[in-house]
Parts: sequence; structure tokens; C-alpha cells
Amino acid sequence: MRVLVTGMGGELGTRVTQLLEERSEVREIVGVDFVPPRRRLRRSEFRRIDPRDRERLVAFVTEVAPTAVAHLGVYEPHSRMSPREAVERTEACTVGALGAAARTGQLERIALRSGVEVYGRTRGLPAVPDEGADLAPGSAFGRSCLEVEALAAGLGRRHGARVAALRMAPVVGAHVPSPLGRLLRLPVVPVPAFADPAFSLLHLEDASLSLVEALCVGYDGPLNVVGPGAATPWQAVRLGGRVPLPVAGPAWRGACRLAELAGAPVPAHVLELMRRGRTADGSRISDELGLHDLRATQEVCAELYEWGTVTALRAVQEVA
Amino acid sequence: MAALVAYGIDPDRAQPPEGPVATVRRRLDGRYPIDPFGADPQLQDLAGPLLELAVRVRVAHAERLPRSGAALLVCNRGLGLAEPAVLTVAARRECGRRLRVVGVPDLPLLGDLLHKLGGVGAYPGDLAALLRAGHLAAVPLGPTWLRRGVGTPPLGLLVAALGYPVLPVAVVPGGPLGLPLRPWRAIVGEPLEIAAPGGAVRAGDPLGGAELAEAARDGVRRLLAEPA
Repeated sequence: MRVLVTGMGGELGTRVTQLLEERSEVREIVGVDFVPPRRRLRRSEFRRIDPRDRERLVAFVTEVAPTAVAHLGVYEPHSRMSPREAVERTEACTVGALGAAARTGQLERIALRSGVEVYGRTRGLPAVPDEGADLAPGSAFGRSCLEVEALAAGLGRRHGARVAALRMAPVVGAHVPSPLGRLLRLPVVPVPAFADPAFSLLHLEDASLSLVEALCVGYDGPLNVVGPGAATPWQAVRLGGRVPLPVAGPAWRGACRLAELAGAPVPAHVLELMRRGRTADGSRISDELGLHDLRATQEVCAELYEWGTVTALRAVQEVA
Repeated sequence: MAALVAYGIDPDRAQPPEGPVATVRRRLDGRYPIDPFGADPQLQDLAGPLLELAVRVRVAHAERLPRSGAALLVCNRGLGLAEPAVLTVAARRECGRRLRVVGVPDLPLLGDLLHKLGGVGAYPGDLAALLRAGHLAAVPLGPTWLRRGVGTPPLGLLVAALGYPVLPVAVVPGGPLGLPLRPWRAIVGEPLEIAAPGGAVRAGDPLGGAELAEAARDGVRRLLAEPA
């Protein structure tokens, strides 16, 4: 298997690449992203290309002619870039890389990172949707994920490739750039005053494992990947020893503005999670991919707070 | 999907509430489980004994209530406010389980509170996920004014419950006109058997669901006709 990893520079992309390197059936790994990988990679090749540079991306992917694509170039708004840039890069990366890979005629399988944001949380929708539930995303990130899924599924149908769309719960961790993680780690966290909806999280390691497994077994179709159990905003904030600030109605606008000033901008999908909750039924993964005992949401939540606060070192004057 | 036990609190088995100091400390530290449907087992344990004091219930054929595993209770109702409370008390006292009542309205405040106490919205997908997770759920039939007869069965929900044990339950008020003069009576029926034309009933089969709905309605009607 010759695997192309898009979005290799992200936390998820780097870990997926490391796991792919351990697989004997993966003969060759190449990756692209607009930033370099975050850890040491042993036998992968990385090319630094901004997905918006369409010509270079297409030329590189055509030259590689991958048989499998791990599509992680699905960028979350305010994770590492502005919402507008995230949507642009996601679209450019999906159309450019997947399209070019499909046109080489070698492509057999795709595993892509999608999110449970595709289900949306408007009233009148089930609280714990399974893979067959209606898709009605209520945020830019949800719509972006849905577009990626639709594009990949279309390519898969036309070129006879299997497409695994892994709908992941928000991936947070002490060192994972995530708008939700940053918001929950503020000293004072805005929480809904008159509600306490449940949300689920996913550990980075489980997210990476599920993607590698889906790619290697050639899974076809959508699949929810969700940490068991759930947490609520009030509870998560108290687990981290933070102070909850009850907010309701129009006051959310001000709270989001303050959070942004404090270094944690709140994109629409994170606001939706805080106010309406976000879970999904992840019971199929053990049968389909053989992955059992995913880390529970509250474990992931507790781990988010384990990273010690930064202590400033005093400058040393003497020079040896 | 086995139920996740977190912080020593089982999401399926009811437990006696802890002391006030331990309870408050848990709430302040955030060390309590939440399940994906929004239930808060610690709050359920706190509310359970209060509900038992408020609603007096006599249960007939309590031995038919499943002690473990996924199952669905189908019951009659008047407007549908008291019956779920009666069944919650019955399940808690007779088999030590937390009953998940399906049909919570998606309203601010009230909806959120009922979700915390174990309620679930009336969505087939949610009921299917609930049963896959091994919970004991209850679905009321359609409302009947003045509790005359049984209401229309919720077809979509029963299609989602195919393949799991379904028990009819009749809930009868203690006094005339639904007044709580005597304890409420809950009569648990035998698990429903539905014979499919071509062998076993497959999950999600609308015809099987319709048969199950009819069987559930008949089951509840027969139980209601039983002499006290």
C-alpha cells in the first residue's frame, strides 16, 4: 500500500503517520501539509505544500500516485487558523489531493477525518445519532466535514474506491490544538446558565488508531468514533478546577468576545457544543474495526487538565 | 456496548445515595458520571427516594421485570405525567434499576432537568442506542383522556425496539378519577412474542414493528381488564 497522508503536519496527522510506519502492509508513506510534522518520523517523506497552492499539490499527488489516502487535511476553525482559512484549506486540500489521487487510477481506498458535527444539534434531532441519522450540520465546521464526505463518496463511487468517513467526537488533549480544549482551560469558563447538555470527547490515540485501522481493513461508509460516556460543561469545568460563569441568551456574544480576548476564540461548532451538547452512538466501532475500550470522555477531559501551567524561568545573567 | 461505570456509580443499577458531605464534594469536584443521553446517575439516586415517598406503588408480577440487560416496557397513560413516575419507582424498588423514560419534550429547563433524571427524547434512533447500551426503557402509548382504554402505540419507536424483550405494563390509579387515595397499581405482563411470517423478525422491519405495536396494545388492554 502506498499511502498519502494529507494534513501530516497536524497532531492527528503526525500520530497517524507514526502508526502507519509500524504497519508492514504499508510500503511507502508520503505526506503533505502547510506545516511540518510535529514529531520525528522514520520512513515517511514529507512535502511542505500549502493546499491552496493547487498546482503544486496536484503535481505532487499525481507524481506519488497513491493507492490509499489518509485524508486529515480537514481543518478545524480556530484550531490553528481562522474559520475562513480553515474552510478554504479544507476544500482546496480535498478537491486537490483526492481529485488528483483518483485521476491517477491507482486509488483503492480513502479514510478521512470527519466529525460528529455533521449531525447538527438543532431542536427536533436525536440526541445520540447513529450513522444512519439525518445530517443537518448547524456550523461551518459541520458543513465543511459534510462537504468533504460528499466529495470523497462521489469520487469513491466513480473510481471504485472504498471511502471510510470517520465521524469523530472533538479530539482534545493537553497538547492538541483545539478551540474546545483552549476554552475549557481558561481560568473562568462560560457555561450555559439554564442547561447542562452532555458532550462526548475522543482521545487523540483512539482517533489515530481508528483511522489507521479503517484504512488498513478498507472500511467503506461512515462510522462514529466517540469516547464512551459523556461530560457536561459544568462538570468539565469543575473537573479542571476552573470557575464556571453562567451565561444565557444574548450574553453569549459578550462571553465569546471575552474568551477570544483571553486567547480562546469560540467558533460556531464549539458554541453549539457548549449550549446544546454533542454526542453520537459509537457502538459500531468494536464490530467494524475491532477497537475495544476506547478512552472514556471523562478520562480525556481529566487528561486535558493534566498539563501543568507554564512557569516562567528566571533569566540567568552569567555566561559560562 | 457495556454501560460505563465511572467514579463507582453504575449507570444502570440504582444505588443508595451517599452522605450529604460526600455528595456535595462530588458535585463541586465534578467527579460524577454522565451518560451520552444526558442522565446524571448521582442526581437519580438523590431523587429516587424522594419520588418513592411521593408516589406509592403496588406492583403485580414484579418477578417479570428483567434484572439485567436491555428491555422495553410499554405502558398506558392518561396525560402521561404520573405513569412514568410510577414505573420509575416500580423499577427502582422491584429490580433496583434506573428506568429510562422515552418521550421527554425538547424544552429549555424542563427538558434538561428530565434528561438529567433519566429521560430520553422520543426519537427511534435514541431508543435504539439506549437499548444497544443495555438500559431498561419505558415507552408510553398515546395519551388517553380520563384514562379510558389504551392509546395509539408509537410505531416508529417500536420498530427501533425489535429484537429486544418488550413487556406490556398496565398502570392503574389508586382512587377514582385518578386521585391518589390508595397506592397506584402497576401490573407487569409477560414478554410479548411476535411471530413473523418468514421466521425471526429483523430489526428495523416496519411490518414487524406494526405487529409488535398491536401486540403491545392488546397486552396492555388485557392487563387493564384484569380484576384487582
